[in-house]
Parts: sequence; C-alpha cells; structure tokens
Amino acid sequence: MILQTVFIGLFGIAAIWFAVVVFRTHSMVRSALALLFSQAALGAMFLAMQAEFLGVLQIMMMATEMSIMAIFMVMFMMDPGGLGGMDMTHQKRGSQAAGVIGAFAALGVAFLAGWGSPAATVPGPQEQLRGLGLDLMERSMLIFETAGVTILAAMIAATAVALATRSATKQEGNDE
Amino acid sequence: MTTVLVIVALLVGAYLVAVLESWTSTGRLSFASPLLAGLALVGRESLVPRKSDRIFFEVGPVLLLVSAVLAAAVLPLSPGLIITDLTTGALFVNAALAYVMVALLMAGWGPDGAYAMVGGFRFLGQLVGYSMPIVMAIVGVAMRAESLVTTQIVESQVTLPNAVYQPVGFMIFFVAAMAVCFLPPFDLPTAPGELAGGVMAEYTGWRLAVMRLARAVLVVTLAASVTVFYLGGWNGPVLPPWAWTAVKTLAVAAVMLVAGRYVPRLREEHLLAWYWKFAIPLALLNILYVGIVLIAGSSSSMSM
Repeated sequence: MILQTVFIGLFGIAAIWFAVVVFRTHSMVRSALALLFSQAALGAMFLAMQAEFLGVLQIMMMATEMSIMAIFMVMFMMDPGGLGGMDMTHQKRGSQAAGVIGAFAALGVAFLAGWGSPAATVPGPQEQLRGLGLDLMERSMLIFETAGVTILAAMIAATAVALATRSATKQEGNDE
Repeated sequence: MTTVLVIVALLVGAYLVAVLESWTSTGRLSFASPLLAGLALVGRESLVPRKSDRIFFEVGPVLLLVSAVLAAAVLPLSPGLIITDLTTGALFVNAALAYVMVALLMAGWGPDGAYAMVGGFRFLGQLVGYSMPIVMAIVGVAMRAESLVTTQIVESQVTLPNAVYQPVGFMIFFVAAMAVCFLPPFDLPTAPGELAGGVMAEYTGWRLAVMRLARAVLVVTLAASVTVFYLGGWNGPVLPPWAWTAVKTLAVAAVMLVAGRYVPRLREEHLLAWYWKFAIPLALLNILYVGIVLIAGSSSSMSM
C-alpha cells in the first residue's frame, strides 16, 4: 500500500514535470513529445492504481493522439519541421489568470469533494474489463458517442480550415 | 529463465531476418554477412551530428528496440513460454508498437538533418494510416477468443486458425504489420534511393548497429504477432509447439520481406488514401462479419 502510494506520487510528479516542460521548450517536436510523456505518466499512474486496461489504453492512445496533434500543429504553424524559433506561450496575462483560477478550481475539487474511503479490494483485471465493456455499452454510451462525434466534427472542421481555398491559391500565384 | 529464452529467440530471429533481408537485396544467401556487418559497424566511429538534439538522438534507436521487445513480451512462443501473460495482452502489443512511431520521430528529429526529419514525419503520417486498421483487425480476433489474453487467443484457434476464419482481417493485419516495421513497399521513413536512408541516414557506428538490430527485432515481433493472432500460434501436428511458432514466424517474415521486392514504394498520400478509404471500411465489415458468424454459431449450437 505504501509502495503503491509512493509510485502514484512519483508518476504524478513526472506528469506535472513533463507538462511544465511542454511550455519551457522552444521546439515544437520537444513540446509535443513532452506532452506525450506527461500523458504516458498518467497512464503509469493508472497502472500503479491496478487499473491495467485503462493504463495500457492511456499509454497507447496518447502516442497516437499526439501524432494527430502534431499533424495539426504542422498544418497550422506554417513550420513543418518546427525549425524556426518559437515560443509556446502567448497572451501571457490572460493565460496566467486562467492558470491560477484553474489551479484553485482543481485544488478545490481535490480537497472539498467527498471522495469516500479508499477501496478495500480491487476487482481483477478480467473483471475490470468486463465492467468497463458493460458500462460503455449501457450507462456511458451516450457520453462517449457525443464526445466521439464532437471530436470528429472538430477534426473535420480543422482540416477544412487548413485546406487552401481556390481563391487563396490564386492570390499566391499572382504574388509570385 | 523464460525472459532469457524469449530474448535469445528474438535475437536468433533477428539474425535470420537479417540474412533474409540481405538476400532480398543482394540475391546472395550469406549466413555470415549480418554478423560481419554488425562487427564492422561496432568497430567504426559513431558520429554525433553538429547541433543535434542530443536526448532524442540517443533515445531514438534504444526506444525502437525497447518497444519491439516489449511488444514481444506478451506473445506466447509455446505454452508457458511467455514473459508476461497480461490480461490486456492484445491491447498491450499495440501500446508498445505505438512507440515505434515515437522512436522514429525522435530519430528523425534528433540529428538535425533534412532527410532524417522528412523520414520521421513520414512515419508519423504512416501511423495515422495503419493504426486504425491494425487495432480493428485485432478486435475481430479478440471477439472470437472472447479475451484479450494472447494465450487464450492462440487456444481459440485450435480447430481453425483465424487466417481461415476471418481472411479479410488477416490480410488487413498482415499489410498493416508490414507498415509498422516499415518494410518495402512501406519503407517511407528510410526510403533508400530517395531519402538516402531517412531516419537512419545520420546514424553511424554502434548507434546504427542498434537501430538495424531494433528493426530486425521489430520484423520478428510483427511476424510473431501475425502467427499468434492469425496462424494459430503454437498449434500444429507432429512438431513440438515452439517449433511450430518458429516455423510460422519465419515463414511470415520471409513472405513480408519477399513481397516488398515486387511492389513499388507507395507514396504517402496514396498510402493514407488506401488505408482510410479501403482498409478501415473493410476492417469494420470484418468486425460485423465475425459478429454475425459468432452469433449464428452460438444459436445453432444452442438449438442442437
């Protein structure tokens, strides 16, 4: 139990550290990979909490998700390799305010919510898998379907925005 | 003990894959060439390019090797001969293989070279193509076995291997597996003759040796996963179980290596178009097909 808590804490600190690195680097690829490692550390936290399926899923999905994010970054930043100098921070005043408010909100939830006592026993991995499957097909189906369709719509919209329109291409041609 | 055995098996497999690969490119079957080439590489100086991203440059090849070995850790070579029999084994294979992309992106970005970088980003695009079909194909396998445990997946194929039970899923998985280990015609990140080695272009000496070893191990891992998921793993008459796994894995690796010789390298956008417009719908149909067969099978056995 103590060892488990120590590991959860260590992975948690690693997740926060890599999240800080995301904004401290000046390279697109470094910041994308730091984000990936931050999320993979969350996956490791799941594993430390004996949620095997969620942990493995998190570690897998984040690598794929990060790649899709990187492609959108390439599309929007006009800097395919991230070779130019860049800064991950912008609108500093507003983001500082948002960060402080967000941090207090998260801490408030962490300390004020009634979490109940820790679970005495953990169901086996097989049992967890079954439970998750049933939950996905019953109670949580609508939530996941809504989230999935929303993300898909956002991705299609982002692609449409990034596509060169015919008039924009024509203008470029005239400039040359 | 099991871990040592599996790693020795992987190394022997990687050696044989290297022999086969040199045969597909030179036409000569030389059993000493991989060893000699490896020794020569280790003896040479390993250059670090100027202004390289040192962390990514060093981590790339090692992460490639680690992800290939981790994926192999959940694949059973014979009953009991498996490093760890995870409850989420079939998912874990994908989780480990997702980091092949991360490793190649690092190796592409790290050395600060144009060819390497293009190669790294190409593999990123390749992953967007193959990752969905490969997972969807595994869903069909897991549906039949009613489990994600790899040993149970092998046991579910005692009567009929999945390659016959769901041939469409088998073809999708096979092609996607070739894309994961960037074999021709999917060798976009290395693309000899066009990108001059791509992600491997800036690596020399022992670092290149690690990278080549990692790639060979990756081919063995993917061939073994095709064997476990679709060819019935260790099941087979007469020969002992481990021999069946070895024979099937080597046969799959040989087919993967030889098939690429006769197909021209695909272009990135064609590859993505084929995967998204053709392979993903087919994989979804395969899931539907397996579902119908399973329900029909269970209802007919109930009525009997």
